[in-house]
Amino acid sequence: MSVILKSVNLTKRFTGVIANEDVNFELRAGEVHCLFGENGAGKSTLSSCLFGFYQPEEGHIEMDGKAVRFASPRDAIAMGIGMVHQHFVLVEAFTVLENIVVGTHERGWKLGMASARSRVEGLCREYGIDLDPDTSIRDLAVGQQQWVEILKALYLEARVLILDEPTAVLTPAESARLFRVMDHMRARGLSIILISHKMSEVMQADRVTVLREGRVVGTVRPQDVTAEALTRMMVGRNVELRIARDRKIQARSSAAPVLVVEGVNYRDTQGKAALVDISLCIGEGEILGLAGVSGNGQKELFEALSGVLTPQSGRIFLAGKEMRGLPSRHYMDSGVGLIPDDRFREGLIPEFNIRENMVLGWQRDQAYTRGPFLDQEKIGAMADTLIEQFQIKTPSASTPVNHLSGGNAQKVILARELMHSSKLLLANQPTRGLDLGVIEYVYRQIIAKREGYAVLLASEELEDLLNLCDRIAVMAGGRITGIVDPLHSSIEDIGLLMAGGTATAAAREAI
Amino acid sequence: MSETSAISARARTRLTIEPRLNKNLRWTLTMYCAATLIGTGLSALLLWTSGADVTRAFGALLKGAFGSEKAWIATLSKATPLILTGLATVVAFRAQVWSIGQEGQVYAGAMGAYLGCLVFFGLPAGIYVSLIILSGMIGAALLGTAAAVLKVRYGVNEIISTVMMNYLIVFLLSYLIGGGPWTEISTSVVYQQTPQVPETARLQYLLGSNKLHLGFVFALVAAAICYVLLEKTPLGYEIRAMGHNPVALSYRGTNIGRTMLLVMAISGAIAGLAGVSEIFGTSHRLRADTLYGLGYSGIIIGMIGGLRPLGTVIAGLVFGGLASGSLYMKLLAQVPAALIPAMEGILLLTFLCAGVASRYRLVRVGDGDV
Repeated sequence: MSVILKSVNLTKRFTGVIANEDVNFELRAGEVHCLFGENGAGKSTLSSCLFGFYQPEEGHIEMDGKAVRFASPRDAIAMGIGMVHQHFVLVEAFTVLENIVVGTHERGWKLGMASARSRVEGLCREYGIDLDPDTSIRDLAVGQQQWVEILKALYLEARVLILDEPTAVLTPAESARLFRVMDHMRARGLSIILISHKMSEVMQADRVTVLREGRVVGTVRPQDVTAEALTRMMVGRNVELRIARDRKIQARSSAAPVLVVEGVNYRDTQGKAALVDISLCIGEGEILGLAGVSGNGQKELFEALSGVLTPQSGRIFLAGKEMRGLPSRHYMDSGVGLIPDDRFREGLIPEFNIRENMVLGWQRDQAYTRGPFLDQEKIGAMADTLIEQFQIKTPSASTPVNHLSGGNAQKVILARELMHSSKLLLANQPTRGLDLGVIEYVYRQIIAKREGYAVLLASEELEDLLNLCDRIAVMAGGRITGIVDPLHSSIEDIGLLMAGGTATAAAREAI
Repeated sequence: MSETSAISARARTRLTIEPRLNKNLRWTLTMYCAATLIGTGLSALLLWTSGADVTRAFGALLKGAFGSEKAWIATLSKATPLILTGLATVVAFRAQVWSIGQEGQVYAGAMGAYLGCLVFFGLPAGIYVSLIILSGMIGAALLGTAAAVLKVRYGVNEIISTVMMNYLIVFLLSYLIGGGPWTEISTSVVYQQTPQVPETARLQYLLGSNKLHLGFVFALVAAAICYVLLEKTPLGYEIRAMGHNPVALSYRGTNIGRTMLLVMAISGAIAGLAGVSEIFGTSHRLRADTLYGLGYSGIIIGMIGGLRPLGTVIAGLVFGGLASGSLYMKLLAQVPAALIPAMEGILLLTFLCAGVASRYRLVRVGDGDV
């Protein structure tokens, strides 16, 4: 097979940090090539260079054997490279067709909707994409919106398609469909760069290039190596993939309930039903998992259970005390800790230093004040202890948290919330975007504090939930579609429940 | 091959601007010195185009601002209300509450204090003055809080509401002293002002002058209190946190609405104190012209001071100097006094640029490779 796109000795630095060093990467025509590596390994930087978003400082890019220089993505698109980012760029109020035409319109006054429609429909047929061009974006699920982005790239006659962690927004079934479509594309000569850190996806690629700390560790064919070997390449050492949990001390349903939720409903400010008749219960020492495609009410559930938002109806009991309607302060004072999914927006003050962030929410607590003033000594002592205990890598306690890596920033939140909560920990995607080593560490910390302590843990990594949780609740369309026992369930079972909301809705429409 | 080396050669010589990870004090100082020089240069250009003798004009300006004890006293007394309105800006802007209401709050402070002066007349001097100051600060704090209530309850943009309230309050004042109940009744002409306030209500003069008054001490104390409040107390922590990331702050149990009310009340009270000190320290009667523009200047001063209390005191002194020196400049160099606000504007722009520049650095990329 011929090489279509290639980077030669490519190096890119950011403020002294090397993001890509001496990277040699080649994409052959008609292959699915996976870029595999931990967060910060340089996958995104490399693909951004290939897409013309960044310009390499050393080395160069070759397309069809000729050296090219992309001043901006515009040049890359003109050469036939398309990229689907993790964050979509779509106009909510427009239809699928309008988004494709507007997002790709090059010159002239006329949009040419009719010819565009036939081309888009043709592309859908050709690649087996099931999407109605006249649906508004806002009526599409996040997973379906991704198809629009892919169509946009195909519409621009992309020969190379870069997909940045495309399955993050998909149910297991939708992911499988994406891989089927990718097979069609490959068969029609399209070349695909797939960025991923999920082992199951990596194994489906034709070739894998593993990146670590900005360098290429190696390019291999998945059938030639084991998953363990690939992980070792990625991390540079052996990592226990499964976090062992002693299920002998597993909570029984008879354990005293810490959190009881009964019939909670919440409509957001746009009047959309975000939580529908939610009931659940978490006992002492229990870890309840929460699975679901993002955007199906998990965020609202976490906000409702921490007092950030007030559900319109239903009841929330914490250790027997009715809490609904009380502000977040009361939840915190009653021993609820919260790890929000958007850590820099919801969990930290990025410009504040570690010390100040460790006391966030407790700045008025007697433990950290002396008279009317903040007691810097006590805050400093607490922060130093936690930095040491949680092995937070930082030059000092007065380093602003926006200078920390994602993992260390997450440890700041984890340390603060574990330290200051006594009954319930709400952890929404606590390991998203973190390195394997840190993920392992975060889970261990969450498991360690179990005596009389309840945990609600949401994660996109279903395997982690199956390994860690006593029970797993699955959400779809704002409802809990099922609560399963991990010992007797598979990822497929959970996947069905994750799709449950949409499946029933489709069935209802069919009638 | 030659094509590739050409590409890397081009990349090697490129300069880029990158954000600094850590603030460097020397670089920051350099930037602000450069800003002062550039600001002075542009001001000189402005003076030159208006036909003035530049050296003479600057000489007169400096002499009038800092050239003698008398000049210093004039500068300090001009700086007094400016420091206070600057501090009011600092408290609001640090919380990213974009209040433009300092102007109206100065008037409200003056009016509240004048009301107190009428109501509490006859009480012993010390108590009388304290109550006057207090009622002025409360009046202005209420005006500030009103804007905060509109924001918290109804989501009204605070920039719009505070600007509108500035107009409202000016018209209320002009009714009260322009024919309304507080107007000075004289035999022939009606001035837009109240009668003089009683001796016992006035703020004491300092250093035996008849210009510099107790208000200057208030301004310095207010600066110290603002520093302690912002840097050392839980409320200050919340104000700063709200300025950076209100979402995380509210996720962790702080009532953002309540914090905003407090911020506007404190900011208003400080701006109100500026009005009180002008009326009871300088003009000794309530009139609009002495108060005009103090609030708007305060915004500039707070910004130039880097939204820091100490910086604001320094910026206030510089602007006080410009105000007192401009009179000299007008007399000695025949420069129109209207050029002074223009020069202030130039200084603001160069200082804002310096503030941004101090957070970045120039980096040569691709340095040292072959």
